[in-house]
Amino acid sequence: MTGRVTIRAGWRWATGEWSFFHSPGGLCTPVLRHGPFHLFLALSLASTCFGQQHRDTLLLKEVEVTATRLSTFSPGMKVEVLDSATVARHASSDLATLLANESPVFIKSYGLGSLATSSFRGGSANHTAVLWNGFNIGSPMNGQIDFALIPVGMMDDVRIQYGAGTALWGSGAVGGAIHLDGHPRFDQGLALQAGASFGSFNDQRYMVNAGFGNARWSATAALLQAAANNDFPYVNSVVPGSPEHRQNNASFQQLTLVTQVYHRFNEHQRVHFGHWYQESERAIPPTMHQASSAAQQVDGTQRITGGWQFTGRNTVVETRAAWFDEGLQWFPFGTEAVRSRSRTAIAEAEVRHLVGDRHTVSTGMNLTHTSALSDGYPNKPQQDRTALFLAYRYRSRNDRVLATWAARQELMNGAWVPFTTSVGGAVRFTEYLHARANAAKVYRIPTFNDLYWVPGGDRDLLSEVGWAGEAGLAVEQRVGSVQFKGDGAVFSRMLDNWIIWLPGTSYWSPSNVMQVWSRGMEVRAEVTVPVQRTTITLSVLTNHVVSTNQVAKTPNDASVDRQLIYVPMYSGQARLTVSRGAFGLAMQMNYTGYRYTSTDNRSYLEPYILHTARASYALKPGKRHTLALEVQANNLFDTVYQTVADRPMPLRNYRAGIRLYFLGKKAERP
Amino acid sequence: MTRSYRVLPLLIMTLLGACRKDKPEPPDDRPLTAGQGGVYVVNEGNFQWGNASVSYYDIATGNSTEDLYAPANGNGLGDVLQSMALHNGRAYLVVNNSGKVVVVDPDDFVASATITGLVSPRYLVPVDDTKAYVTDMMANNIHILDLSSNSITGSIPCPGWTEQLVLAYGKAFVTNQARRYVYVVDTATDQLVDSIQVSKGGNSIVVDAQDKLWVACTGGSGTAPGLYRIDPVALEVEASFPYTSGTNSPWRLTINGDHTQLFFLNEHVYRMAITDTVLPGVPFVAANDRNFYGLGVDPNSGEVYVADAIDYAQRGMVFRYGADGTALNGFLAGRIPGGFVFR
Repeated sequence: MTGRVTIRAGWRWATGEWSFFHSPGGLCTPVLRHGPFHLFLALSLASTCFGQQHRDTLLLKEVEVTATRLSTFSPGMKVEVLDSATVARHASSDLATLLANESPVFIKSYGLGSLATSSFRGGSANHTAVLWNGFNIGSPMNGQIDFALIPVGMMDDVRIQYGAGTALWGSGAVGGAIHLDGHPRFDQGLALQAGASFGSFNDQRYMVNAGFGNARWSATAALLQAAANNDFPYVNSVVPGSPEHRQNNASFQQLTLVTQVYHRFNEHQRVHFGHWYQESERAIPPTMHQASSAAQQVDGTQRITGGWQFTGRNTVVETRAAWFDEGLQWFPFGTEAVRSRSRTAIAEAEVRHLVGDRHTVSTGMNLTHTSALSDGYPNKPQQDRTALFLAYRYRSRNDRVLATWAARQELMNGAWVPFTTSVGGAVRFTEYLHARANAAKVYRIPTFNDLYWVPGGDRDLLSEVGWAGEAGLAVEQRVGSVQFKGDGAVFSRMLDNWIIWLPGTSYWSPSNVMQVWSRGMEVRAEVTVPVQRTTITLSVLTNHVVSTNQVAKTPNDASVDRQLIYVPMYSGQARLTVSRGAFGLAMQMNYTGYRYTSTDNRSYLEPYILHTARASYALKPGKRHTLALEVQANNLFDTVYQTVADRPMPLRNYRAGIRLYFLGKKAERP
Repeated sequence: MTRSYRVLPLLIMTLLGACRKDKPEPPDDRPLTAGQGGVYVVNEGNFQWGNASVSYYDIATGNSTEDLYAPANGNGLGDVLQSMALHNGRAYLVVNNSGKVVVVDPDDFVASATITGLVSPRYLVPVDDTKAYVTDMMANNIHILDLSSNSITGSIPCPGWTEQLVLAYGKAFVTNQARRYVYVVDTATDQLVDSIQVSKGGNSIVVDAQDKLWVACTGGSGTAPGLYRIDPVALEVEASFPYTSGTNSPWRLTINGDHTQLFFLNEHVYRMAITDTVLPGVPFVAANDRNFYGLGVDPNSGEVYVADAIDYAQRGMVFRYGADGTALNGFLAGRIPGGFVFR
């Protein structure tokens, strides 16, 4: 996307998660739009644009309209954007594959197309909040999201916010939050995208994505279909002799339809409507110990969001609502179903006001009503939550310092949930060196399963609560034509009353018995070297997370000061990309270190390295049409590995894809 | 500019120095030859994790080893080891979620045969020199095995979830977790001949010094948890010992060497003489927040072994108590220790 927005001196309303700052005659670096770059916190980068004197009131309003809670009030936190180019690389995959390959978030995958959950900075699967159009779409029943069920083709970009975001986003954003948002495409005309990909094990995916935008309307619709047999060969290491077996009962089919419509009444008002429909059928494969499995799972989801936004001279008012209906049927033996279903209704209002020149204040309220039906809750429980939140942002006169403070108080079924607050700041030392720091109180309310499951659920369970802090440094340097970027972050988080299910005399029940201290370091470095007409990029990402249980659960518990299970202490990625004109070549290595499978850290899974190779070619038969071809080989060197103990993982496999883009006269090239 | 260059690598290096190593300690499988005077610990392992194992404790030396099977055979035992039986110089390991019985040498634990084709086997009892019955959780059958050929030769239809069984007077008395009966099988004809009504959740059964049978039931579906004493000749319940509260769950019923003292788990360890007329009110060994999961009594010394499964996700711990209840020592076993076999 070319820069269309000019900014007043420095930045006022943070925007631009995705637009970039291009000021003719200004000193903005043409930021990060090409290739596999990751945009850092938009605000801290926005500070690289200074000295721009040009003012354009109309365009400023455009900027204001796209300001969101994430970009305005997150200074001090590390936010990464997986931009549309990065996302396009995985357009035929699911969110689990995208995150596993492009971010330090650890994805625990049970197999190709099977359940995939996340671990963010040493947290558990329900310490990651996933938000769509600003609403948390995690299951109220188990607090988790199956990342394998979210197709990448439905989103333009993915924003990963690391660390403690509960003051901004509410319960669950403890380890981090992943934002999946749509963006309006006003005045961009028509755009059509169609794609198909074919991969090993009869993996077939199709995608059609149409977009339209004029001065008043913006609409996008995406239809995605995916299916695979997943009968891959694998090495069965639990059988004597480690023979090669073929995976069975692992097929899946999925259909997704996502539409986003925006209507702009005038330069002050606009409304938005979003709809996400999805259905999937999955066969649940056996483990290496079982000869076969007949289990099946059927998921159906409907998510609808709507909103109205009014932008005044210094004020933005937003009201939004959402309705989620998610159901799941599980057939353990392929015959009878175990059913669960949840419905959530959310209403939210927010007012943001610019006071003077440098102070932004925001306040809002969120009302959420959830009800769930499951064979495990015979009482049909319901939950009402009310949250009040407040946020403030300060910008220093010379644009070098940004500071924010946020607070949130939530009420759940009439009982107070721990008060949370966060404080953060970002400092721009020089044009090339930024620092950030953040401290926050975090919480997570118990899930429906924790509270209402029969038998075992405990209505008196407390919320998990704790403190988290992080500090980071971002460096950007250009030496001649070589560009270097680096980012280092350290974090520490102590979470108390961590809920864990433990066995009782006749059944299991959850208790607030664990205290977990997670700390670590993330380092990312990237070097881009142009050599004549070729561009070579090398990027390295390393992740060190120590996440230990601090308190004995029972008298002889040997898990104290030991790493939580399935949280790797060391993981990393390295990627080399070579692009020249229409051709691109990439080689990637992913390292995953030891993961323990016992809480006393005596049983473990071996570390492994996976290699991926990808070649792409983009043909432009006309000025506005692009044909992109891509082939990819995964697990290039036939590594035998396990992500979850004794669950089969595929050996080398391939995928080839083709994508066509037709762009109208005004459309921007993705 | 140069200053900012130096900051980042310096920071990284200082932090790396403080980093923790992730390489795990090597396992503590000291090779230990099992022999007479020892206890085998049956470790279930986690469902679908395939980490079942057998530990061993040498009573004379106090040495223990966490895993006998894997170092001897080069691969894991399978998924969920429910029980083990010694017979005619062989050990029979009933691997519940792998649907098999593995035959091993009790001394060096090298596997000599595997009997497959079972559904969800639970307990094996030899009914004569070459024939054995194996109960099953899901097959609605009791399997008949031929131990000389290591094969399944037949089955006895029996509904529900058959659990522990015991022999008396030429019959096999089989508990059932899903029914409120103890089922009676004639071992000569392999026929189901009778059923005796108790409570639901029958899980363990023993023979006492007066040739009476005792059954522990966890109750449910309107029946009370408790113990029952059965006359195996008249094929009827002689005495009932029900709990008034349904929160009780007596299981792991076992008996000492001279068959005069019963021991069972109900959160704590309880001891009851076979001549007692009421259930014991005071624990023999209090759990004190430990997660008691297995129980065994040494037939020679009367010492009591209790297994603590802790959080089900780490090595369990076994505590040894004297016949009078005094605490002795403890040792680490495998994942979720559930049973003891004395030799």
